[in-house]
Amino acid sequence: MSDRRSSWFKGVLDLLVLAALTGGESYGYEIAKLLGGAGFGQIKGGTLYPVLNRLEEAGLVDAEFRAAEKGPGRRYYRLTEEGRATLGEQGGLWLAFDHSVREVLARAGVEER
Amino acid sequence: MSTTDADDRHRQDGYLLELAERLRAHGLPADRVEATVMDLGAHLAECGAGDAEAEFGPAEEFARQLVPDTGVRAPADPGDEVETWRWTADAYVDEALLNRFGDEGWEVQRVDAVGRFVSHRDVAQPQRWEYRRELVTRGRADVDLRLAPDGWEACGDWLVYAYYKRPRAASLGPAARVDSPPPVPERSSFFSRKFYALLAVFAAALVVAGAVAAVGDGDASSGLGFVTGGIVGAAIPAAAAWTYQRRRTRRS
Repeated sequence: MSDRRSSWFKGVLDLLVLAALTGGESYGYEIAKLLGGAGFGQIKGGTLYPVLNRLEEAGLVDAEFRAAEKGPGRRYYRLTEEGRATLGEQGGLWLAFDHSVREVLARAGVEER
Repeated sequence: MSTTDADDRHRQDGYLLELAERLRAHGLPADRVEATVMDLGAHLAECGAGDAEAEFGPAEEFARQLVPDTGVRAPADPGDEVETWRWTADAYVDEALLNRFGDEGWEVQRVDAVGRFVSHRDVAQPQRWEYRRELVTRGRADVDLRLAPDGWEACGDWLVYAYYKRPRAASLGPAARVDSPPPVPERSSFFSRKFYALLAVFAAALVVAGAVAAVGDGDASSGLGFVTGGIVGAAIPAAAAWTYQRRRTRRS
């Protein structure tokens, strides 16, 4: 069952990352922590960074490496206008999908656990 | 630092060194390799993961996942491979920078809704490009017609400016090829001192005008209201310009 949850998560991780950036720019670990705190559990760097790279290549986020005065430098990610539009469009489709699944499951008497 | 911490650190360094090697082997530019490894090192330090491989997976597999998505991967047909870079500059320096980066093989495809030059570079055969900027207040069609015979092709608009590109191969022939293209620049914003000076003058003028209003009325809130009004007054045409550009980008 955990495999199924993992595949759902991978299917929607790009949208979750875009959503995590609507509050302003952020970096990899902070995004992982935010999503972890939202109930998705610990997100490994090996899962997150390739997604961030894909979003950058698609022009949905901008990335900039900035050296820090104290501590190590980091790549900061920021949502682009294109990313915001994609989040609205794809996020809306996901919610519609979620709504349909919920309706069918509710009719079958399934309850949330 | 305990022996275990030192061992973990040693193993992490070993992993990151190996990852850097593999990223380079996959063709990632040197500055990107350095930035990526520093970023991942910061991630490990912050999340407290002792085992880098448990966090990121085997170095080779992770490198493969990272590099294919940076625009420098080798697709089935190497001739189709392009790098993409989005950048912006103010009107004081944009034309000079377009030509500088054009000499490094960057071809502007379009100007996006937020005013960035969306640029591509052919990895296998980068070619030099030259650019010019024209002021257009009544549509671009006449300017397009005037410049077309000389090989200029429109590549984007930003408010009252139209940008045109032309391959240097038209005048240089094979010499227009960039033999050793520099890596993709890490910076994406180029604003001149003139631009910052203009902003500073605007801000100073606003503050002085606010202060004069406050003294004249004998009321500090009057000055504050003046400054707020000035900022809002500047924001309205900026928002209108942004909306206009966004619509134009969508249409094109």
